[in-house]
Amino acid sequence: MQQRPLILRLITRRELGPFLLLVAEIVIFGSIRPEFLSPLNIGNALDFTVELGLMALGMTLLMTSGEFDLSVGSVFGFSAVLMWTLKNSGATSLTVGFFIAMAVAALIGLVNGWFVTRLRITSFLVTLGMLLVLRGAALFLTDGFPQRTWSAEGSRLAGILVGELNFGKLHVYASLFWFIGLAIVLGYVLTRTKTGNWIQASGGNAGAARARGVNVRWTKTGLFVLTAMVSALAGIISSIRTTSANPNSGTGYELEIIAMVVIGGTALSGGRGTIIGTVIGVLILRLMRNGIVMVGVPGLAYNIFIGAIILAMVGLHATLERRRRAEA
Amino acid sequence: MAQELVRMSNISKSYGRVEALRGVNLAVYEKEIVGLLGDNGAGKSTLIKILSGAIPATTGEIFMRGRKVDIRTTTDAIAQGIETIYQDSALVNELSIARNLFLGREPVKGPRFLDRLDNRKMNEVSRDLLKKVGITKDIPPSTPVNAISGGERQAVAIARALYFKSDLIILDEPTNNLGVEETRGVLHFVRSARDSGHSCIFIAHNIHHVFQVVDRIVVLRRGVLVADDIDPKNTSIEAVERVITGLVDEE
Repeated sequence: MQQRPLILRLITRRELGPFLLLVAEIVIFGSIRPEFLSPLNIGNALDFTVELGLMALGMTLLMTSGEFDLSVGSVFGFSAVLMWTLKNSGATSLTVGFFIAMAVAALIGLVNGWFVTRLRITSFLVTLGMLLVLRGAALFLTDGFPQRTWSAEGSRLAGILVGELNFGKLHVYASLFWFIGLAIVLGYVLTRTKTGNWIQASGGNAGAARARGVNVRWTKTGLFVLTAMVSALAGIISSIRTTSANPNSGTGYELEIIAMVVIGGTALSGGRGTIIGTVIGVLILRLMRNGIVMVGVPGLAYNIFIGAIILAMVGLHATLERRRRAEA
Repeated sequence: MAQELVRMSNISKSYGRVEALRGVNLAVYEKEIVGLLGDNGAGKSTLIKILSGAIPATTGEIFMRGRKVDIRTTTDAIAQGIETIYQDSALVNELSIARNLFLGREPVKGPRFLDRLDNRKMNEVSRDLLKKVGITKDIPPSTPVNAISGGERQAVAIARALYFKSDLIILDEPTNNLGVEETRGVLHFVRSARDSGHSCIFIAHNIHHVFQVVDRIVVLRRGVLVADDIDPKNTSIEAVERVITGLVDEE
């Protein structure tokens, strides 16, 4: 097989458009406000970015398999509330509470997957239902009040998940490395493994995959479990970092996360996905939020920019895809 | 006489009160291309779906090399060596040729927990196979399937059946929507499949295509097998058409 030159392969990659946008954002914001590139601001911007990013990574694989999950924001809020309720009521230690919350999240993913693959209900309806059930459960469990979380201070689990690290002036949390690690692992799974091939086939042509003996049902169900578990992890990390487990936290995250994944080049309809694209997509939206506030655009205008970016990027991906087919 | 490969015995299929197939007996021998003809609604697709495990027969039995087999799912059929290539060819558009060829049976290298695809092996085998089914154009196996032509897609599906040693390859309208040149290519792939020891059931609307490639023609009419041994070499197309439409009962 003849290899095309590296430069040609790079410019035909679907991550190129989002990547250029990200570079443009950094250059523009950095030139208007040099503080945008200060270690302090970078550290601040990354804190919450990696929490949304963890969820977006799971969502990328799930969307590649042809499904999506609207309940991620609710899992984010519910899992943290569950862990802290267990801890604060004295029922379990923080660590045991953590593992219970993760196990419950896995179960939530299993239920989502079961409804979608066994009862053949679209993931839109199933996960919309789950979104409401879990948000209701979080509010009911707490009477609507945030849970105390200050007692995480000094706990070993908190250190592993969100310990504070300093590199010179750059201040980051350990969660950044969980995000990087997960991105590498899932990127490998998606592009280099047999499982990754099954994920793409399940989303591209489920009937054909099934006829070849691919277990589409368990592939999708496994990804619902993965997505729910990383969402729970993100929620717990966030609650420890912000010292608050609010039953309302995570509201509305699902759409922002799906937007991040789609901006990066993953198809909403399944079949193709990119972890690198998602990482870029996460950064585009988070740096946009951070940057427009710094350059003095009213924060209320944020959604105008986000919406425009989504439209521009999906337009770009669709155009490139059409051209790729026309060339063939 | 060649060895019998598959025998469908007394196959019937009813949908409620509608009898789609009535007592069909059909055998396919080793290294033989059988053309299955019949008008719309004659039961061709139903018969093929039963053989490929997509739907169950109401009554009847299937034998492979004389041994009774139980085919309930498409996976069962593939395990028995029966590969069906549908008209909207069962490929995943987004995946490469190599990944489609090995889908569901991907070679893995290194420690098992790494689950790592053996890309080199997949690419090498794919390149050989494409050559074997007669694709002379240099198409890299890493090309996504949505970037190749309809005839080439059929070739990939046929190559897959060849590699996984399917004994019987069922081609359902493989020449639909194909140009002249591509059709010629597909007919060539079918012949090379037979020459390398596989049997085929070939279904096509276009009788001319069938005549060019098959060894024997069988005809279904309203769920009944009305002819099972027409030799295309000494029968005219018009005569076969009369059997299909029912103007005469046998040749």
